[in-house]
Amino acid sequence: MTAQQQERDGFVIAERPAPGTPRPYDFPNVATTRLANGLTVLVADLPGRPLISAVMVLRTGAGDEPAALAGSAVLAARALTEGTERYDAVALTEASERLGASLHAESGWDATTLGVDVPASRLEPALELFAEVLLHPTFPASDVERLRDERLNDLLQAQADPRRRADETYIATIYAPRSAYHRPSAGTRETVEGLTADIARRAYERALDPSRATLVVAGDLGGQDVAAMAERLFGAWTRPAAIVPTDSGVMGVLDAPSSTGRIVRVVHRPGSVQTEIRIGHAGLPRHIPDFHAVSVMSAILGGLFNSRLNMQLREAKGYTYGAGAGFDLRRGAGPFTARAAVNTEVTVPAVIDTLAELQRMRDEPITDTELAAARDFLVGVFPLRFETAGAVVGALAGLAVHGLPIQELIDYRRRIEGVDVAAVGAAARDHLHIDRAAIVLVGDVDAFGEALEAAGLGTLVIDRDEGPHAAGAMPDEAETEAPGPTDADDEHGPTAGAEDPSLPGTSDDPTSADTTSADGGRDG
Amino acid sequence: MPTSVPQVRFTDERLPNGLRLIIAEDHLAPVVAVNVWYNVGSKHEQPGKTGFAHLFEHVMFQGSKHVAKAEHIALIQAAGGTMNGTTWLDRTNYFETLPSHQVDLGLWLEADRMATLLEALSQENLDNQREVVKNEKRWSYDNRPYGSWQEKLQAHLFPSDHPYHHSTIGSMEDLDAASIEDVSEFFRTYYAPNNAVLSVVGDVDTAAVRASVDRYFGAIPANPSIPSLGDLSLPPTLGGEIREIVHDRVPLPRIYLGFRAPVYGDPRLDALDVAGQILAGGKGSRLHRRLVRDERIAQDVAIFTLGFIGGASICAGWATVRPGVPVERVEAAFHEELERLATEPVSADELARAFALIEADELGSVQRVEERADRLSMYATLFDDPGLINQMLPRYLSVTAEGIRDVAAATFRADNRLVLTYLPEEPPADSAAIDVDAANEADGSDAGDRGRAEADSGEEVAA
Repeated sequence: MTAQQQERDGFVIAERPAPGTPRPYDFPNVATTRLANGLTVLVADLPGRPLISAVMVLRTGAGDEPAALAGSAVLAARALTEGTERYDAVALTEASERLGASLHAESGWDATTLGVDVPASRLEPALELFAEVLLHPTFPASDVERLRDERLNDLLQAQADPRRRADETYIATIYAPRSAYHRPSAGTRETVEGLTADIARRAYERALDPSRATLVVAGDLGGQDVAAMAERLFGAWTRPAAIVPTDSGVMGVLDAPSSTGRIVRVVHRPGSVQTEIRIGHAGLPRHIPDFHAVSVMSAILGGLFNSRLNMQLREAKGYTYGAGAGFDLRRGAGPFTARAAVNTEVTVPAVIDTLAELQRMRDEPITDTELAAARDFLVGVFPLRFETAGAVVGALAGLAVHGLPIQELIDYRRRIEGVDVAAVGAAARDHLHIDRAAIVLVGDVDAFGEALEAAGLGTLVIDRDEGPHAAGAMPDEAETEAPGPTDADDEHGPTAGAEDPSLPGTSDDPTSADTTSADGGRDG
Repeated sequence: MPTSVPQVRFTDERLPNGLRLIIAEDHLAPVVAVNVWYNVGSKHEQPGKTGFAHLFEHVMFQGSKHVAKAEHIALIQAAGGTMNGTTWLDRTNYFETLPSHQVDLGLWLEADRMATLLEALSQENLDNQREVVKNEKRWSYDNRPYGSWQEKLQAHLFPSDHPYHHSTIGSMEDLDAASIEDVSEFFRTYYAPNNAVLSVVGDVDTAAVRASVDRYFGAIPANPSIPSLGDLSLPPTLGGEIREIVHDRVPLPRIYLGFRAPVYGDPRLDALDVAGQILAGGKGSRLHRRLVRDERIAQDVAIFTLGFIGGASICAGWATVRPGVPVERVEAAFHEELERLATEPVSADELARAFALIEADELGSVQRVEERADRLSMYATLFDDPGLINQMLPRYLSVTAEGIRDVAAATFRADNRLVLTYLPEEPPADSAAIDVDAANEADGSDAGDRGRAEADSGEEVAA
């Protein structure tokens, strides 16, 4: 028998292949320049990546607005592409479409961004349009009103969607009413109703400060001098008069936790076939010394497919299509959330299992195997993250949002490799607070209320009112999803539950596209 | 057009056991995509077994002879990779993206389950994944506002004896009935190398991949008798309008339109895709401009195609009705825009803008090795022609205004139209929550009444 025959087992080879020799990967070189007005320009030339991506990060967002004007930053970002001094909205859209350029603007808690993706050959005209939108938007009253009304309608839709309902109720439960994070970044009915074009303009002007802005451009530049383009287009940009630079928090507190202690809050949804579960508490800001240990810990708890939560709730029990947990790291302490949607009958056991996994994360040291799995994934997947110019720009923009240096990305894999069992244990004990975790459920309380009460998990509050609701915080816009292959959703499928553990920048991706229409459901 | 999308160069061959192997080298980044398409989808399911192809796909992650339950994913993630599998009407795919020095791991894992899945199959794992899939159905369809529309779309556009009539997720009853024997039979029938395409794209050496594929897959036996589905052809149109009113727990009414469309691969479907871009592909599109921006009667609009190779594709769209707006007004405006496309040629500028966006979109999509591998597998599986990967963009860019008008005229006809109207549940709950109007029995006044009722309840929620 030859060696090859010996290792053959029936039709296949029994022995697992050994990896080949890794080819080194380095994050692309980034050229940094700073214009006289303070604008930072980051440029990465990526040969072979002909779709260029550009983003302007303005480090002012929904976290910087007064409570009474909640939603103004998000509304302003949505209205940004509704017209400029030179182009009305239709002309602007048509001009950008002729270039094959998609312009998009978003605002989150920490930043407002304007982005464009365009084929390399049309970069310069696309950046000219981009500059026009950035520096000379007109915020037409009628269009701002339309967008405001769309947000009000979206809030209605959110009430009917159990996932959004759970998210909103959860945030409103774990943060004190005086914190910004208690409310949705796009505002509540009460605040949005009062928003006007003038308010949107002022919100945007507060953000429009070149000394707090970073332009990031990446792709196959083919010798195009982006720094020179930036100087020509943005060199004369000055901060609007009467705008006082703000660093943080002047509008009040971002992230004060609520003081309710362990609370179990149920939003009754009669006849609901699943219960949406959210468990957790106010979590962490981005700037923490143990960022890498937290990343590894959260991957093991609820980030990887084989995370403790997903293995228990999905693969052992079959309670859910996917269970996960993670930290939303913002300028202030964003939420830590464990989440799952489970069939109604198993609601209480699923809550108990989730709490038990959170407790076990604190109490039991992780195994070397768990450590290796999480560490090797985070390190190994690094090159896979940066196949497109958009992904490189997204990572750099994430750093800019938090004022982090590029070195943070360069050091990332080495820092992750340095995380050990003790560091993960410390991160869990320091940052998971089961005793004060809120439990928020959206489901049919008539089906599980008795069992829930008997479980004695905390102060029980049942919200049977199907009518209007207090605030809620939350995701920006209703998803309007194109249909497609079953499991094709990136976050679900056989790998559901594998929340992508965050990169060095932020988990609140400021460059994510705002997709509101579907033009193709083709496979692939 | 100054920009062009780079050509994909690939090799295309078959192993003696029938496995089709496609390799495309790309050394830009140290990553590789391994992608397997099996020529089996929900259309192959027997009556009483709906949802089975997808449940089976989940079982493929439950271990094989040399891989324990959940270990497939653990090994891929520990190697720094990502993976998934998806099921659709015409096919099922499985794919991994890995650091390129780990390519053999992906190949070995795919081979092990292609050859030895049944040796690890257990009732416990099947039962576990059955519960997972039932929760997937609840999460993606049953517990979601408007969540039933996709099932209804297929059920209405395809006759009950056509394999596209039922959705990929299937029914709870059929999922409950799935047995170990069903898994075995499905595996033995369809999961054979001669029913699969394997594409490998990325930072690899073609000869080395070929050697590894021979080694890992070469001895897996073919199934010489894969049954064929027979004739799936259908009349090109429905032959009458179908309307259904659905009362759901939603605050805003929404209208879904569905049409039978040319099969995937027919150039007329390319024209319909370009038409979709012009109708609803962003803020400059006709439907968005009229319904959302100018008349402000809709909260959002969409239109798109779902390409299928057997009988007919689907072209579908929707508009969410703003509070206080009569539902029939939105529906009428939507139809008018479709009819306008069917009678007047689009302008040269509209066409040029659509082309520029399609081209940029294509440029972005094919940057990732995962997407390129998936397309190579797709074109080989569905059309026996992986070279289509380099031809689809030129095909889109050769669509003409006349071609769009003609396909719109053939597709957007009243006698080829499904109209699903979702209305908020009324407080005195009708026990029969769904009214179905049969073909050719449109009932506009009914929709109108309920539209007004909705507006009232919308305000209540808002109060």
